[in-house]
Amino acid sequence: MKDLVTVIKFTIKDMVKRKSFIISTIIILILIVAGFNIPNILKSIGGEDTQEKLLIVDEQNVFEGTLENLNNINLDYNIQIENISYDKIKEKIENEEIESAIVIEKQENNIKIRYIVENTTMMESVPEELVNMINNMYSNLQISKLGLTYEQLQSIQPNFEFSLEQTEEEKASGNVLAIMLLSIVLFYAIYFCAYQVSSSITTEKTSKIMETLVTSTTPKTIVLGKTIGIGIVGLLQMIIIVGTAIISAKSFLEPEMIDAILDLSNITPYLAIVTIVYFILGYLAYALLYALTGSTVSKPEDIQSANTPVAILAVIGFYLSYFTMMNPTSELNVFASMFPISSPFCMPFRVMMGIASASDVAISITILVVTILIIAQIAIKIYSSAIFNYGTKMSFKDIIKIYKDKNN
Amino acid sequence: MSLVLKNVSKNFIGKKAVDNISLTLDKPGVFGLLGTNGAGKTTTIRMLLGIIKKDSGEITWNGKTVERKNVNFGYLPEERGVYPKTKIFDQLMYFAELKGMKKQEAINSINKWAKVLKVEEYLQMPAEKLSKGNQQKIQFMTAIIHNPELVVLDEPFSGLDPVNTEILKNIIIDLVANGKYVIMSAHQMATIEEFCSDILILNKGKTVLQGNLKEIKESYPANRVEVDVNQNIDNYIKKFELEKENEKDNDYVIKINDEDVAHKLLNELVKDGIEINKFEIKKPTLNDIFIEKVG
Repeated sequence: MKDLVTVIKFTIKDMVKRKSFIISTIIILILIVAGFNIPNILKSIGGEDTQEKLLIVDEQNVFEGTLENLNNINLDYNIQIENISYDKIKEKIENEEIESAIVIEKQENNIKIRYIVENTTMMESVPEELVNMINNMYSNLQISKLGLTYEQLQSIQPNFEFSLEQTEEEKASGNVLAIMLLSIVLFYAIYFCAYQVSSSITTEKTSKIMETLVTSTTPKTIVLGKTIGIGIVGLLQMIIIVGTAIISAKSFLEPEMIDAILDLSNITPYLAIVTIVYFILGYLAYALLYALTGSTVSKPEDIQSANTPVAILAVIGFYLSYFTMMNPTSELNVFASMFPISSPFCMPFRVMMGIASASDVAISITILVVTILIIAQIAIKIYSSAIFNYGTKMSFKDIIKIYKDKNN
Repeated sequence: MSLVLKNVSKNFIGKKAVDNISLTLDKPGVFGLLGTNGAGKTTTIRMLLGIIKKDSGEITWNGKTVERKNVNFGYLPEERGVYPKTKIFDQLMYFAELKGMKKQEAINSINKWAKVLKVEEYLQMPAEKLSKGNQQKIQFMTAIIHNPELVVLDEPFSGLDPVNTEILKNIIIDLVANGKYVIMSAHQMATIEEFCSDILILNKGKTVLQGNLKEIKESYPANRVEVDVNQNIDNYIKKFELEKENEKDNDYVIKINDEDVAHKLLNELVKDGIEINKFEIKKPTLNDIFIEKVG
């Protein structure tokens, strides 16, 4: 136990002191702080006035002067009304006095409305907001001419209440964006953190320190100590990153903007605990798999190919949960929340959506823990036997052979 | 205290790496494990420390299996290794703590040995900045830092310059003087000869010669005479039907089968009034014995 603490301490110190670790963490933090400042930066570059300047030309007075009212409605447009020629409009747009213009022309049977901008490359049609605005203006104008009373006017306005319902009893709730964020953060945290374990083990083989190490402590202590040490560093790094993100969001973003992205009321203590438990277990499962593959190679250039099978497993696990998220009550999603390679990514959002019962969580955690114990046993065995494999990468057949060899 | 290996064997996929070897080390001293490349020295050492499992036989220290919990041992592996990016002090501390030392105890020991091995100035540097020889000294430090009772050194001198070889030799002599048991494998016969009490020569996994080094050497008759004279003595060599092994500026090494003929040669040279600077009857060196046994 004392040895395990020593190995964990050494692993943490060794990782945290690395220049590459410090620099990459600082870069991530700077990017986060900068990212949350983008709206502020854009504002300061664009000046206070971010409203688009729109010129409306209604020479034939189709709207009978009501267009002036548009400036009283809270719109994203700064509206000017002026009767000028197309050439003048063109000139104003080119001189950046206005961004766009609307020209209203009465034709024989209908009214033609031209929306003019400098370049239509990024546009497919006239903005819906403008279309609605003009349509409403026109109907209101015509209705007012009918001389209707307020009650009559109310009775022709539709007053429907739309609601979305499902026949299944289970009801999912929660913010899709938050759920996606959660599973992506979990995936990257688990994946990149666990990856470090294999390179750490291979580095020890490359630098040939293994023999000194295994005569100083047991292979079990080394594998577990490394895995736990790197996990603690990863968890701390994740906490710092998420913490910085939350603090930056609170200090730099408008409160309404935060509410739109993340409804913090969804994050209950129960969900937080489940998420951390799954982070730790998911990390352990993948880290020990990486410890296994890391033991089978001795050259840094072989790590990549040895790790490929684990990477594929992780990606399958992630997508299995990610895509079934679209249909959270499907059987495939239930399977994904139980299957050990995908459950760490899947179960936290089932809990967040309130569709996983406590017994579901208990079963899923039990399956995951049993899987971790099996992987740990195999990884330690392979690690102890593969120490002196300084040659080429071991094949899957070699690994099975070593595992079965009672003599080793 | 004693270290005993009894009929130990190991096979690697159809090849006998170590074949039925036995040895005993029952008092403080240096036991030399000799052999050509691939003779089975490192395999023997790895089995001895339990890094790889033996196929058969018995290995005990004071009647118990050699394991970390039963024996306080130090090991310098043949495969040299250090953590390249970690500060020397930190890695020494790591191994000292793994070997059960307390923090202050470890710091004292690191400082003491760093002074003896002349590596004090490197303690705060990452290992990759050190020369290979200095890295090797650091590894040697990890093997002895915790004051082990059994010290196992696999080729401790390979790659060291004469100055560092001398430092290491003195440390090993000190270890023995302090009652330590040392097992060492080596190629350099001259070094082994200097301080090994007992030796075992391995060839293709089999023991070809084993015993007390002094007794072994004494059992071999003198096999040559070294003569330094001021003139050519080829005609004397011819007269006694001897064979020159080497000659340079009237320094002769002459092969002999028994010591009598050497005495006769000396008498003849004295009688003829030849000025003799040196006349020495020599027993075979360990090198000679080694080559005879495995060459």
